[in-house]
Amino acid sequence: MNMSFYALMIGPFEGFSFMRMALVACLALALANGPIGFLLLTRRMALDGDVMSHAVMPGAALGFVYAGHSLFALSIGGFVSGAVVTGLAGLLARGRSRRDDTGLVAFYLITLALGVLLVAYFGSNADVMRVLFGTVLAIDVRALLQIAAVSSLTVLLVAAFYRPLAVDSFDRAFLRMVGGSGMRPMLMILVLLNLVVSFQAFGTLLAVGPMLLPAAAARCWTQRPGATIALASALGMVSCYAGLLASYHGNLPSGPGIVLAGGVIYGLSLMAVGLGRAAGTMMKGTTI
Amino acid sequence: MPAVRMPAVRMKALRELVSVVSRNVRMILYPCLNGGYRPDPAGRPGVPGADNGIDVRNVSVRHGRRVVLEGVSGIFAPGSLTAVVGPNGGGKSTLLTVLAGIVRPHRGRIVCQALPRCRVAYLPQQSEIDRDYPVTVGEFVYLGLWRNFGALRAPGNDQAERVEEAIAAVGLSNLIDRRIGELSVGQMQRTLFARLLLLDADIFLLDEPFAAVDASTSKDLLALILRWHHQRRTIVAVMHDLDQVRSCFPSTLLLARTPVAWDKTESVLNEKNLARAFAAQ
Repeated sequence: MNMSFYALMIGPFEGFSFMRMALVACLALALANGPIGFLLLTRRMALDGDVMSHAVMPGAALGFVYAGHSLFALSIGGFVSGAVVTGLAGLLARGRSRRDDTGLVAFYLITLALGVLLVAYFGSNADVMRVLFGTVLAIDVRALLQIAAVSSLTVLLVAAFYRPLAVDSFDRAFLRMVGGSGMRPMLMILVLLNLVVSFQAFGTLLAVGPMLLPAAAARCWTQRPGATIALASALGMVSCYAGLLASYHGNLPSGPGIVLAGGVIYGLSLMAVGLGRAAGTMMKGTTI
Repeated sequence: MPAVRMPAVRMKALRELVSVVSRNVRMILYPCLNGGYRPDPAGRPGVPGADNGIDVRNVSVRHGRRVVLEGVSGIFAPGSLTAVVGPNGGGKSTLLTVLAGIVRPHRGRIVCQALPRCRVAYLPQQSEIDRDYPVTVGEFVYLGLWRNFGALRAPGNDQAERVEEAIAAVGLSNLIDRRIGELSVGQMQRTLFARLLLLDADIFLLDEPFAAVDASTSKDLLALILRWHHQRRTIVAVMHDLDQVRSCFPSTLLLARTPVAWDKTESVLNEKNLARAFAAQ
């Protein structure tokens, strides 16, 4: 019994270094994705995050075309094209109401289509799949270092700049009045960096999943910002572990498995909170 | 880690009593001792009524191609209490954001010794604030001391008392740990005023301070504004209730994209001016 439990839960990571690498990479990503996801959700910028993850694609595709599978080229290309598209979308959104997301959706479609075209033209169908859904099991030490560096930077910067980041998201005019500068560019750069390093693991379609799903789940359980961020990171890590394990035993693709695990956690959180609320109102109904 | 952290507030009756007494004593004494001004955080004594006027010189503002404000010139005298009234879309809120230094005018400029900004307090409309963000009344009001601790430093522990005083002054002591998303419109307005109290500015720019609040809140907040007025601080408020303007505001600026009239309230708010301002719609 004990032995089989061990073989089930820990064996895969003990036996295969690619599983260990994937796990460590995903844990590091989850650490940074907690605060980033929280900030995106509280600013109602989930869609922006999605668009940015696709904006990474054309640049990464060009990097792929010119330098093959060089991680460095992919990352630089992805970051540059992400920054350009985010800037353009920002310009387009200027002077319009915040609810007008036509421009964002247009960018999302254009960049996705362009990226797929580029990769398919210069590469193979397998390359397209790799770019769309990622190859978390192919992460090597250099990719891991990149992820760890970005993740550490993110956590440190959010910790140091939490106050202006928070105030910027709920009362921008106040921040300007007391002389603070807008924090949106810094947040966008952090989101972009995290998406670029997530790109190899989860691909352009899924990279935003581990960023938003754990944070959304955490927001079901607590309202306090610190607790939400910590819980988001923790739930992200749980979904990494569970997703990797499930994909190993079920012989399924790992990236989608991890995102789906996050989705399950989110669904369970919603249900638990809904049940709790219903129970609460029922209790009230009986006592009064 | 939330950097804006409130130390736990203990409901000790004695401490509350002391704080209420000391607040009232200070409220009475400060105007006498300091000419209406508390020393600012840097320790510089305020200069009453000398440099807190606002000189508006030919200011125009555009949003895209639409002209929102055109050729606004005039002076908000030091220590004046001015109501800004006019039709919707007349540029009232825009004028305040320009005065606050939040929006840069297309043409013209604002000349004011109290700018650069460190002695100006701006009350936004509530719709500007995202109340879904999980922050408590205490934390929100704490931000009023921003100029003491800035964006990155942790606030000192000795500041907590000032925050509690400000919250008590607007009558929200029992809601200090409530999230701002759970407040009524009136309670939120009181919270915003508590933050203004801590900003301790020489110039107050208030955008619809009484919009959609109940009568008792409106009365309490008006009392605060009149207190600031007594302390010779300059106040500009966007207003809708003309009766309230007539009874409490000495000066009025009637604004319909460009000033229709700007003078003593009784001479501004006559039939002819109002018809002109509101016909332009």
